[in-house]
Amino acid sequence: MTRRPSLFLFPLIYLAVASGVASLRASIPEDAASANSALSAGNASSALSTYQLLLDSLQFAKSGSPELWYDRGLAEEKMGDSIASSLSFRRALLLDPTLVPARKALTRVLASLGTSPVAPLVPGWRDQLLAKIHPEAMIVGGALVGWLGILFLVFAIMRVPRRASFIAVALIAIILGHGFCVVGSFIDPRRLAASEAVITAKSAPALRATPADSAESSGTLPSGSLITILSRNGMWWYVADGSGQTGWILSTTATPLLPSSVGS
Amino acid sequence: MFLALLFLLPLGVAANLRANADISATAEMSQPEINAGDTAELQIRVAGADQAEVPNEISVEGLQIRLTGQSTQVQMDNFKISSSVVYSYVVIPLHTGKFTIPGISIRSSSGTLRTSPVTLSVLNGGANGSQSQSQPAQPGMPGFSQPQVPSAQPAASPPDLDHIAFGEINCPKKSLYVGEMVPVEIRYYFDARYPVQPRSPVDLGSEGIIVERFPDPKQTLEEKNGSTYTVLTFHTLLSAVKPGPLDISPAKFKILVQLPEAAPPGFDNPFFQQIFRGRTPYSEIKELTVNTPALHLDVLPLPKEGRPASFAGAVGQFDIDAMVSNPKPAPGDPANLVVKIGGKGNFNAMGAPVLTDAEGWRSYPPADKFEGSGELSNSGVKSFDFTLIAQEEKKESPGAEFAYFDPVSARYETLTAKPLPLEASPGKVPSVDATAALATPTPSLSPTPQPKVVAVKEGDPIPTVSLRSWKTPVQRPEFLIATLSMLIATAAWAGILHFTNLQKKGGSETSRRRRRMAELLSALKSDHLDAAETYDAALDYATLIPTASEARDSVIAELSARRDVLKYGSGRSVALGREERARLLEKLENLSSSKI
Repeated sequence: MTRRPSLFLFPLIYLAVASGVASLRASIPEDAASANSALSAGNASSALSTYQLLLDSLQFAKSGSPELWYDRGLAEEKMGDSIASSLSFRRALLLDPTLVPARKALTRVLASLGTSPVAPLVPGWRDQLLAKIHPEAMIVGGALVGWLGILFLVFAIMRVPRRASFIAVALIAIILGHGFCVVGSFIDPRRLAASEAVITAKSAPALRATPADSAESSGTLPSGSLITILSRNGMWWYVADGSGQTGWILSTTATPLLPSSVGS
Repeated sequence: MFLALLFLLPLGVAANLRANADISATAEMSQPEINAGDTAELQIRVAGADQAEVPNEISVEGLQIRLTGQSTQVQMDNFKISSSVVYSYVVIPLHTGKFTIPGISIRSSSGTLRTSPVTLSVLNGGANGSQSQSQPAQPGMPGFSQPQVPSAQPAASPPDLDHIAFGEINCPKKSLYVGEMVPVEIRYYFDARYPVQPRSPVDLGSEGIIVERFPDPKQTLEEKNGSTYTVLTFHTLLSAVKPGPLDISPAKFKILVQLPEAAPPGFDNPFFQQIFRGRTPYSEIKELTVNTPALHLDVLPLPKEGRPASFAGAVGQFDIDAMVSNPKPAPGDPANLVVKIGGKGNFNAMGAPVLTDAEGWRSYPPADKFEGSGELSNSGVKSFDFTLIAQEEKKESPGAEFAYFDPVSARYETLTAKPLPLEASPGKVPSVDATAALATPTPSLSPTPQPKVVAVKEGDPIPTVSLRSWKTPVQRPEFLIATLSMLIATAAWAGILHFTNLQKKGGSETSRRRRRMAELLSALKSDHLDAAETYDAALDYATLIPTASEARDSVIAELSARRDVLKYGSGRSVALGREERARLLEKLENLSSSKI
């Protein structure tokens, strides 16, 4: 009987560890520290090449570091490449929506590009929640509470004689926990990141009615702006911008929000 | 299923072959020689692809070459699927001579291709100086609108071109201010009996004016001078860039019109007229340039008197509104002041409003966005989004000022938006601990997903490094495995609890019954019980046999009667005889072996 708690502790621990963050199996190279030092000393070019090497390495093929992407964005910004830095800051915020320096930096860079700021005019509940709590914490924490509620419900039904209040507590834990898990999954920006991209062309590409250079243009997409890829047709993407305007652009004018090593 | 796979396999292989097929591009002229005034067709065929990028115009000295359309062909030959796309260009010679159209670069999914050069000779013979070509009518010629009035067939005699197509231009104002946007209506009339195809957009270019892009025209049918006309009505906006008298050239609209032509000698007799039921099968396609009359306008300069300092070129009638998107940003966080200019006027040329009382704020050039309320761009709302970062404690936002010239009242107006409540403060200096952390920027791992406050100065790198997945937990296999584990664990937990409950109760009903029957049988076989007690035990045993039957009931009745005799009769404390015990046991065993 004394072994029983450990039996159920195992999957809970596994749930927390497996879902919390990608496991880090090797230490971060010293290169990050040296790149930080180079960037602080004003040698943005050297820092940028180190950040690029680090983020392209196998260690970061399937996982990302919001801090390294932020640092890389800073280096790109100092090199005068505002468009590339906007992409890096967006990737940092994708990995960690609560990273305040990245949000500020992205606002600053987009303002210099003349693009709409990252924060919406009137922040909705989704943005307010994202600024306060990481969606990963909501999903994993919610799942833990929910499953504990289920275990407690089973125990109450099986063992507790006057069980009504216990069952009520268990049901509240199940609803709240899994509700948080669902809400966290819904607001997690990574959920839809596979179909998002950033305009990285120097000149704002035209939004065309059909996938052809000669097609009528219904406007342009400013550099650094976020778009949603609705469908693909060869070298052309059918995209929607933040205001819901849709049209075709050449895929060479935008870069997917997820790095190429992640795939879709 | 297997058969379906067998059928699908070759198709998949074929599709794969198609995907990997070589892509090639060829260029071909419809004819190597044409007369001056005639047109030719250039076709670029891209084999092995269903989409490519080709130039809209090809620049060759002495030729005008324009893209007119494309078509896609898909063929299946011996289970091999191939597709090609054909781009058609119209070639219009500007003078006689021999021309070489160089190789044309085409971009496809496999890279850049180049066609071989093609030649075209333009001869002088037979040219009459007009840009027309005469040829038999091609049924179903793409792009030609069919006549909408089927009443009268066009006569074979040459019609008067001035009455086939003509244009009108209407402007409600004869004088306007520099920068003022005035609506212009252009109407083109086409005799409804003749099919017409547009060749180029309407050209209303003149020096000193800016014309907005033409939206799609409206098409109507109208009666005029006893004829029915198809009318294309274009609406656009026009503005002048400099003061003075302005003569706007006629608006040009190039079309191709299909006109009837007399039958050639030998085909103009009644026999052929009867075959074709009076309709002429011969026609010529003529290119026409339809012009509107010229337009004269007087452009007035914007007055210098009373021009506000904040005037930035807006001409029209506007109103102003402002809002703060986030009235309580965190220290150091940006706030957004959105100034909305609505109304009617030159939104394309207007500058941004000017911020007032902006001391203590750092602002950036605003991002602007226009939302039109009609198909033309002279009415709607333009939003200017100012990003503001407080450099000191602030309780309200800057104000905004917007000046414009009203062409109706002929004077400048200034709109102001008052400061709005906005509590903002500059970012805090990093704490002592954070400063110490910055001094030793050794990367450390922080696998916790909890949000953190990173205390770094703006523009400095973050010294820590954490790893996060690019996928949300529900998209990761670990999460699914963990959820499955929890399901299994919950089921195991429920099973164990159920098992322990049973243990407390002494097992299930069946096992308890079996145990009791075994005990009774053991007692019956021993000689510790007297006769009445033996029959008591036998009666209990028979009662525990689960399935009721006539045999069991008769045995129970028999045992009960015998027990009563023994219990209440003379043999009460007498031991049961060996033979009777053996018969009793045999009876009970037979009963239990058949029923249990």
